[in-house]
Amino acid sequence: MFGFGGSNKSATNTPTQPPTPSFEDQVPTLREFLREYNRISEVCFNDCINDFSGKAGVSSAEGLCVGFCLEKFLKVTQRISQRFQEHQMLMNENQMIVGKKTGLFK
Amino acid sequence: MASELNQNQLQLAGDLEIEMMTDLYKKMTNSCHKKCVIPRYKDAELTKAESVCIDRCVAKYMDVHDRIGKQLASMTVQQQSGVDVDPSKIVGSY
Repeated sequence: MFGFGGSNKSATNTPTQPPTPSFEDQVPTLREFLREYNRISEVCFNDCINDFSGKAGVSSAEGLCVGFCLEKFLKVTQRISQRFQEHQMLMNENQMIVGKKTGLFK
Repeated sequence: MASELNQNQLQLAGDLEIEMMTDLYKKMTNSCHKKCVIPRYKDAELTKAESVCIDRCVAKYMDVHDRIGKQLASMTVQQQSGVDVDPSKIVGSY
């Protein structure tokens, strides 16, 4: 599309679109998500599955445990992230105050 | 359509999949070793009980991984439908 016909702008002028992220741009996010997925599987398997005596697969109690484990994991992550952000903001504020007192900022 | 991946992107996706399967394999090996092998090494052979445990452990690990994947996927869909993902509307707001 672009690179052609610079002379007649009005004809080729498409409405400004938000740049849709290319697949390459999404790879780091995807990688992080998949790593997290693997980690949740590991944690919830370790915490919920402890019986290997039966022939049947994952029992209903185990399945329930895994479901709760996943939801809880996400809530924990969310809460930690919130608290961490608050902590960071406080630290920044304190640094600003110290900076003002010592005359770094005016 | 935009969802079509070119050769290079397919390569990236393939690499990512291998990376994740390697990670999963490592984690599963650790978990099943911990859960099935009694750390008393009088013998180099796997006992019958340990072998059976390992087989079931692998099956259950993959099952759990699958379940979590499905649940995560359904959560993602729910979230997106709540936020309204129609791309034409997003474009319109710019």
